[in-house]
Amino acid sequence: MIDPSAFGEVVQSSPFGVWAGGEAYPIANLVHILGLIMLVGGIGVLDLRLIGLFRKIPTGALAAALTPIAIAGLLLMVPSGATMFASDASALVNSGTFRTKLLLIALALANAVAFRFIWQGRIEQWDIAPPIGGRVMAAASILLWLSIAALGRWIAYS
Amino acid sequence: MKRLLVAAAIAVALPTALQAHHGWSSYDAKKAMTVTGKFRTVSWTNPHGTATIDWQGKRWNVVLAPTGRMEARGLTKAMIAPGKPVKLVGYPRLDGTAEMRIERVTAGGKTVELR
Repeated sequence: MIDPSAFGEVVQSSPFGVWAGGEAYPIANLVHILGLIMLVGGIGVLDLRLIGLFRKIPTGALAAALTPIAIAGLLLMVPSGATMFASDASALVNSGTFRTKLLLIALALANAVAFRFIWQGRIEQWDIAPPIGGRVMAAASILLWLSIAALGRWIAYS
Repeated sequence: MKRLLVAAAIAVALPTALQAHHGWSSYDAKKAMTVTGKFRTVSWTNPHGTATIDWQGKRWNVVLAPTGRMEARGLTKAMIAPGKPVKLVGYPRLDGTAEMRIERVTAGGKTVELR
C-alpha cells in the first residue's frame, strides 16, 4: 500500500509536477473548464431528454449528436485535470473533497458504461414510452456530473 | 440506486465538513497580522505560491497568490527569495493552524497586493 502523502510529494516534485505548477497551470484550468462545458452541456441535455423532457426531439438523433461532444469534453478533462492535480498533489491526496470527486467520477463513468451496455440499440424506446430504469440512470448521470463539477470547484475552498 | 443517493448526499454534505485549503473564508480577516522577517523557503508555483517563515516561536506556512498574478503586479520570485527581508500583512487560519494567507507583501521597496 502506497502512502498517499508520499505519492503526492513524488508527483508534485516530479518534472511533470514542476511543469504543471508553472505557466501550464492556468492553461490546464481553461482546458478543464472547456471540457466541463462540453461534457455537461452534451450529456446533461441528453440526460434531460432521457429523463423525459423535450419529447418532440427524436432521442436517437440527439444521442448521436451529443454523445461525441461529451466524450470529447471528457478527453479534454482527463489530461488537464491530471496537470492541475500534479501541481498540488501533496495537498490534494489528503483532500476529502478531491477524494469524493474521484469516487463520484468512477460512479458516473460506471453509470454511463452500464447505460450504453443496457440500452444500446434500444434508444428508440424513448420515442414511444421511456423506460423507468433508463430514466433513473439518466437522472443519476446528470446529478453525478453536476456534483462532480461542484466538488471540483469546491476543492479551492475546502 | 441507493448507493447513488448516498453518494449524492455525501457530495452535498462533505464540503462544509472538511478542512479548508485555498479560499479566504477559512482565514480570520478580523485578526490581521503584520509579520516582518525572512522566508525560510519559497515555492513559486500554482495554483498559488507558498512559503514558510518563522514568527513568534512558530514555523508558519504562508499562502501567496498565483504566480502569474504576482508577476503581473511586479512581485518576482527573486524579490522574496529566502533570506531577503519581507513584510507581510495577512490573516491566520481560523482553526489555529500556523498558516497565514497574505493580503499584501512588501519586498524590495515595493508593496504588492495579492488578492
